[in-house]
Amino acid sequence: MLKYIGKRLLHLLIILVAVSFITFLLMYISPGDPARKKLTSGGSIAVSEELLEKTRREMGLDRPFLVQYGSWLSGVVKGDLGNSYKDGLPVSAKLSKGLGYTLTLSLSSLVLALAVSLPLSILTAVKKNTPADYIFRFLSFIGNSLPNFLISVLLMYFLCVKARLLPVIAENSFKGLLLPTLALAIPLSGRFLRQFRAEILEQLGKSYVSGAAARGVRSYYILISNVLHNALPGILTVIGLSVGTLLGGSVVIETIFRWPGLGKLVMDSITARDYPVIQGFVLFAAVVYVLINLVTDLLHRKIDPRIARQEGRV
Amino acid sequence: MKKKAVALFLVSVLSLGIAACASGGGSGTSSSSDASEAKVLKLAESFAYPSLDAHKDYYGWYTSIYGLTETLFRVDDNLNIVPWLADGYTVSDDSKTWTITLQEKAAFSNGTPLTADMVVRNFERLSENNERFAYMGDFTFAAAEDHTLTITTPDVYPTLLSDLTAPETGIMDLDATEDFDNAPVCTGPFVVKSFEPEGTVDMVKNASYWDGEVNLDEVIFYYMQDDESKLNAMQSGEIDGYTSVTAAAKQIFSADPSRYTLTEIPATRLQFYSLNENRLDDNVRRAINLSVDCEAIAAYLGGTVSAAVGPFTAAAPYGKVTKPAPDAADARAAMEAAGYVLNSDGFYEKDGQVLTLNICYYKARSLDTIALLMQEQLQKAGIDAKLTPEEDPDGTYIATGDYDIALYCMIADKAGDPYYCIDALFRSNSRWAVGGFKDDECEALINRLQYETDPDERAALANQIVQIVIDDNAFGFVGLFNKTTVTAPGLTGIAEHCPFDFYGVNADTTFAG
Repeated sequence: MLKYIGKRLLHLLIILVAVSFITFLLMYISPGDPARKKLTSGGSIAVSEELLEKTRREMGLDRPFLVQYGSWLSGVVKGDLGNSYKDGLPVSAKLSKGLGYTLTLSLSSLVLALAVSLPLSILTAVKKNTPADYIFRFLSFIGNSLPNFLISVLLMYFLCVKARLLPVIAENSFKGLLLPTLALAIPLSGRFLRQFRAEILEQLGKSYVSGAAARGVRSYYILISNVLHNALPGILTVIGLSVGTLLGGSVVIETIFRWPGLGKLVMDSITARDYPVIQGFVLFAAVVYVLINLVTDLLHRKIDPRIARQEGRV
Repeated sequence: MKKKAVALFLVSVLSLGIAACASGGGSGTSSSSDASEAKVLKLAESFAYPSLDAHKDYYGWYTSIYGLTETLFRVDDNLNIVPWLADGYTVSDDSKTWTITLQEKAAFSNGTPLTADMVVRNFERLSENNERFAYMGDFTFAAAEDHTLTITTPDVYPTLLSDLTAPETGIMDLDATEDFDNAPVCTGPFVVKSFEPEGTVDMVKNASYWDGEVNLDEVIFYYMQDDESKLNAMQSGEIDGYTSVTAAAKQIFSADPSRYTLTEIPATRLQFYSLNENRLDDNVRRAINLSVDCEAIAAYLGGTVSAAVGPFTAAAPYGKVTKPAPDAADARAAMEAAGYVLNSDGFYEKDGQVLTLNICYYKARSLDTIALLMQEQLQKAGIDAKLTPEEDPDGTYIATGDYDIALYCMIADKAGDPYYCIDALFRSNSRWAVGGFKDDECEALINRLQYETDPDERAALANQIVQIVIDDNAFGFVGLFNKTTVTAPGLTGIAEHCPFDFYGVNADTTFAG
């Protein structure tokens, strides 16, 4: 097991270098001048070319690509992600602040989505092609197909403006977390419900289920101990992929609900061509994705020992 | 047991996260119950910065909006430069030494009187901390007396007063604190109660404000980027006003005048295009400008912009210029004078070659919509045009000059003086010289404007320069973004009549809500 983890972590290092190099290259060749963005308040104010050149030199943007990348990489190796072009603050501090908010929002929406979708997916699978199945599948279809911004605006309009149940401005509080959590959890629940249902239905169609039923095993026991257990790897994969996406932050929801998470931070940084922050975020996202995949794979091996045995043979 | 442990872990992480968010965010939320008896104003702002240090970056724009910092001079609603912390000024005969007297009663919120020495140190600090003001390092500042300072410039520098209205020149007490990022001590009518970097800012009345009683007890600025959020917060009564109202929100607010007051004025952000003189002859450029209907474009944009004649608002003394109204017959005559004839498709061609203009633009500040509308208007006049969108105009068509029509948007009037825009756009060595505009008389007038110190003469020179540019059809001035402010009943004095973005609340701001 430890050898397996070590191998995967070694892969992580290679992925990090490759991803950071490609991102750095893409930013380097993409249009937009960080110095101009910084000096001109996003292009609104004209400044002299002399001042632009001086600022580019100070920011190190006049150096060749490989020198810039090498300098950034050597900083990273020493644990220094650099400072933001925009405000001079350390990238690590900016990312950690955003991460706190994103982690809270991701976990709350994931917990809510699971609390809603897991029981409903079992219900709709067991009660396949009944009115309950049709109704919840229809609702999941609606939830899944509505864009995030529309859900957010509708929630805000009906719950804040019309019903006055929640404030539009409710920062740094449990109340402030409710609306963005709902806005993220609604489409997530819709997606989970459909995918979990499909996994459970697949297991319900297997011969071991009818065999157990024929032997008189209670259907509740079959469902919990066999069907759900066997559907778990597929369900974990779906959850793992969603966690990765959630931790990347949601620009739209974070902007609408004034939730200062990573999504909004990185979007603002892309607009400002704030390379150090973008690079820092890319590193973070790559680590998160790789680690979540690793955790998901480890859980798969734990749940289904056949996977480890098969890999061992190969 | 395991399930309980997982559940406990999740609850703990969530609680910690919420606690971290609450503590990490500072004390941005206001105690509305405590403030219920006080006159508290709540406003939304589209931008927020990580620091309150007026000298750094563009942060001074917001310390000025918050009513925290003040400058020696300011621009009034009619675009005149008037003294603020200063009481008056004189200029030496050689126009290089400015003597500025300060208001005797001006003082910081901690009671420390404002002195010339403190102002000098502020300017020196600004020149060291802000790249855009590094040029001030070439000036010689001296505190002649307690309330009198002199500024000596190496050359004649007529725009000094305009520069001193820039919010980055806001004065801070450099001895009161070292935490300029979070709690600077300044002279404005409000002081910081709590500051959340890039978040909510809570300001309270400066009880010892030097320039009289401050009407409001507290002002809270919420950072709200999203237009829908601002609209909803205004509708739910959680905020009392904001600027940059969108066309859609304007419709909603204007339908209920008993609850909302809309104020709309042409501001300083200019949408314009350059016509490439290296490719288009005089008559074609004339035909283009006669075919582009700026009023129709402004109407299409839902009142978010006002049709422009020149780069400056007509209210300014340097905005008195004229341009011909759109005229299809004149445009046709100009094209025919250039040797073009209409082909069977209804487009102008010469020697069998259809004239197809290349309109370059970038997708910001409605320039994409303007490009489409211009294409439609030109095609209607028989001038074919194609659209070329670019991500970075400065690195592409403005750098190379590879365009027929180049759209752009910038702040044309930084602070009550026309020179900045004229120098940036119309000089023969400016970045826009790639468009080929060069006029000896215009250049001579710009040189005179550079050194002219009399405000009336400056305005006259600016008007002559812009008129030459208009008559030459070197540029087309499409629109000036409107500053649209919505306020709750009883709220006045949040700079809603001022075209500049960097003024906000002041001692006279009143709110009866």
